[in-house]
Amino acid sequence: MTEQIDKALAREYEAGFVSAVESETFEPGLDEDVIRRISEVKGEPEWMLEWRLNAFRVWQEMEEPDWAHVSYPKIDFQAVSYYSAPKSMKDKPKSLDEVDPELLRTYEKLGIPLVEQQMLAGVAVDAVFDSVSVVTTFREKLEEAGVIFCPISEALHKYPDLVKKYLGSVVPTKDNFFAALNCAVFTDGSFVYIPKGTRCPMELSTYFRINEQNTGQFERTLIIADEGSYVSYLEGCTAPQRDENQLHAAVVELVAMDDAEIKYSTVQNWYPGDEEGKGGIYNFVTKRGVCHTNAKISWTQVETGSSVTWKYPSCVLKGDNSVGEFYSVALTRGRQQADTGTKMIHIGKNTKSTIISKGISAGKSNNAYRGLVRMNPGAEGARNFTQCDSLLIGDQCGAHTFPYVESRNPSAIVEHEATTSKVSDDQMFLCRQRGVDPEKAVSMIVNGFCKEVFKELPMEFAVEAGKLLEISLEGSVG
Amino acid sequence: MSEWLQQAIARADSIQDGFEDQRATSLALLKDIKWPTRKTEAWKYTPLRAVERSKAIFKEESPELEPVAVEGLEFLELTFVDGQLVSLPEELPEGLSIEMQESSLFATIKPERHVFGLVNDVLAADVAVVTVAEGVAVEQMLRINNLLSNGAQGHIRVVVDLKAGSSLKVVENAEGQGASLTTAFTEYQIGVEANLEHYRFALQSGDNVAVGGSHFKLFENAVMNSSIIGFGSDLQRIDTDIVYAGEKANAKLNAIYLLDGKELFDLHANVEHAVPNCTTEENIRGIAGDSSRAVFNGRIHIHRDAQKTLAELNNRNLLMSNKAEINTKPELEIYADDVRCAHGATIAQIDKQALYYLQTRGVSRSQAQLMLSFGFINELIDQMPTVELADWVRPIIRDRFAQMEVK
Repeated sequence: MTEQIDKALAREYEAGFVSAVESETFEPGLDEDVIRRISEVKGEPEWMLEWRLNAFRVWQEMEEPDWAHVSYPKIDFQAVSYYSAPKSMKDKPKSLDEVDPELLRTYEKLGIPLVEQQMLAGVAVDAVFDSVSVVTTFREKLEEAGVIFCPISEALHKYPDLVKKYLGSVVPTKDNFFAALNCAVFTDGSFVYIPKGTRCPMELSTYFRINEQNTGQFERTLIIADEGSYVSYLEGCTAPQRDENQLHAAVVELVAMDDAEIKYSTVQNWYPGDEEGKGGIYNFVTKRGVCHTNAKISWTQVETGSSVTWKYPSCVLKGDNSVGEFYSVALTRGRQQADTGTKMIHIGKNTKSTIISKGISAGKSNNAYRGLVRMNPGAEGARNFTQCDSLLIGDQCGAHTFPYVESRNPSAIVEHEATTSKVSDDQMFLCRQRGVDPEKAVSMIVNGFCKEVFKELPMEFAVEAGKLLEISLEGSVG
Repeated sequence: MSEWLQQAIARADSIQDGFEDQRATSLALLKDIKWPTRKTEAWKYTPLRAVERSKAIFKEESPELEPVAVEGLEFLELTFVDGQLVSLPEELPEGLSIEMQESSLFATIKPERHVFGLVNDVLAADVAVVTVAEGVAVEQMLRINNLLSNGAQGHIRVVVDLKAGSSLKVVENAEGQGASLTTAFTEYQIGVEANLEHYRFALQSGDNVAVGGSHFKLFENAVMNSSIIGFGSDLQRIDTDIVYAGEKANAKLNAIYLLDGKELFDLHANVEHAVPNCTTEENIRGIAGDSSRAVFNGRIHIHRDAQKTLAELNNRNLLMSNKAEINTKPELEIYADDVRCAHGATIAQIDKQALYYLQTRGVSRSQAQLMLSFGFINELIDQMPTVELADWVRPIIRDRFAQMEVK
């Protein structure tokens, strides 16, 4: 009898397992089996599975952080589905007619070409449209330069040594609650390797990589710039993505070897939820880079989306003379909440860091800068300059600044300043006097306020970011 | 929970002095409280080992101690020795009263979040209530002395109530010998158009443990001007809270810390702009030498209704040694749009060019260093409204610098 039961149970399990692999989305819930299945689906090597399981065990011991200046209903991690394969063609909208017109209106305003609109909206398009050939040309050009740019799941098979060496080297499993979760369940992301002395022939973007579509909500990006190399990486797209997923816990790791430079630009415009704060993405991201001698990492971000943002792109300035930069524009409106900033850890001699953060709050939103600048005892002659400016539009929003400054080296110089202001009546008067309508005037003033950051963005991105702010500010002016 | 706190609670439970009701709420809170660790935001940089290890005891009998004299000033002295009130001014000017009694203000101005504030609520044996009658300007300065003998533990509490249109000058003076431990909290209510000139000197150093706070609540058109000077010790922590309850009030806070040896000094300054049209100006300067550690946290909170607020905070630090450490965190939390708020923080060493300039004029390097660091601090001392106090504290600071220099 018991034998039969055992058999039945075993069979059921077996069946369940197989069908799960075939199905597109895992049942909600998280346990070791789910992780084994993710690893299985991805055909990962044994060490990777072990790494994930270890991360899962670590994560279970950790507590969800509550120090950020945000509030949201408690996340039920057992109610989330941890794997979702690309949707098949038949589930997708057949044409743009089936897509939310509100979304299309935004695409139009941003001047996004039709084909790209279809891609962004997830319309089922046959693989034979223009950009495929574009993608192929890019691939060839990159291969010529020796640059590796592929999904991280592919890299695990093709370049296991590189992945094994660097994965988790910048953001260790135990780093924080969401990073640990990511380690356990990440489904895909990008892998970039720039060989020694190579200047990557073009700006790399997830946007060019067709298979980036519909990757799981737990992305993992690993960029390695070997000695003396240079790469500029663009992440995200400027148009809102209607993603049904509630939780995004991504991890990005950058390694800049001696004399290398990485420029990482993000424009994030996930669905922010409606005016009442219903729906929207929780964007809980860990981004960090390590700079070796004479290396430089520059983070530029324009954050306008997500209902809750929890994100601190950081630099560990390990090597002497290394440089870290952080340029950020964060705009919140409606009931959005953003707690974002950076960490600059100065370890090497003569390391330098610059932080320019511009926070704009409108509606009933809350926008916080949270940053850490740490001068370690060995950071002889290190230098930091931080400037945080906040702009408030309306009297129902909040702007906050929480900078931590720690110095243990007398020859290091740390400067922090923060100001808060509003769009002044004088500025508005001047614009309106010259026939600029109020909405346009606010957008002009805000654009001017963000100029220092926008100029750090690659050209096309800067133009789109400007437009994006304009759209985001629509209706914010009384 | 630490053993020290358990003992404190046990002691509080046994006190019977007629003030039990006043203490009840705090005692209940304290029994539930989590002992702060490095993970507690308010104690992130300040370990409490010194409290945990302290052997300071409640003494039955205390030696006679006299507060330090200040040339040119005759104070109204309110003196506590080892936490017991030992002397009150014999004669009080008209309109000023000091009584040992229950007060409706007790523990209402000091926020509940301070663990040691709660300890003080339940252990301060003699709560002194100072009242200045409406419209009365008290000329003579009141000095609250918190004196501790070697190895003693004492907790003092004073509540100061400035009625409308009155004015008062108060000096909080702490002097401790040897391995003593104290908590000292004062609460000030500054009525409509009242004026408070306030000083807090925490010049004890060495193996002394002192945690305390000065908390202010300002009503319409009230004005306060506070100067805090602290040397570090095994543990020296001061919390200030400035809460605006009436419009057009104005507060200025200047603070200085000078640290040497293995000293620790931690200043938390919190400002609550709950009503419109108030002004805050804060200047905090510090020097950390040898293997000392300085901690500053300056929070300015502008509530939704506090339009037309003007608030500025400036924290400048000199780090003098490779082993010293400065941690600063100026915070802004703003919910109103028509406000002007700014904060700045710097940490560096003495300007090399200024040093070079003086050297080229024949001033020795060490002398030049002394001059420049003294100048850095003296800017704030010069702003003290009572000249006699500034004159008294300058040589003390000079001595401090000389001592730092010798090492």
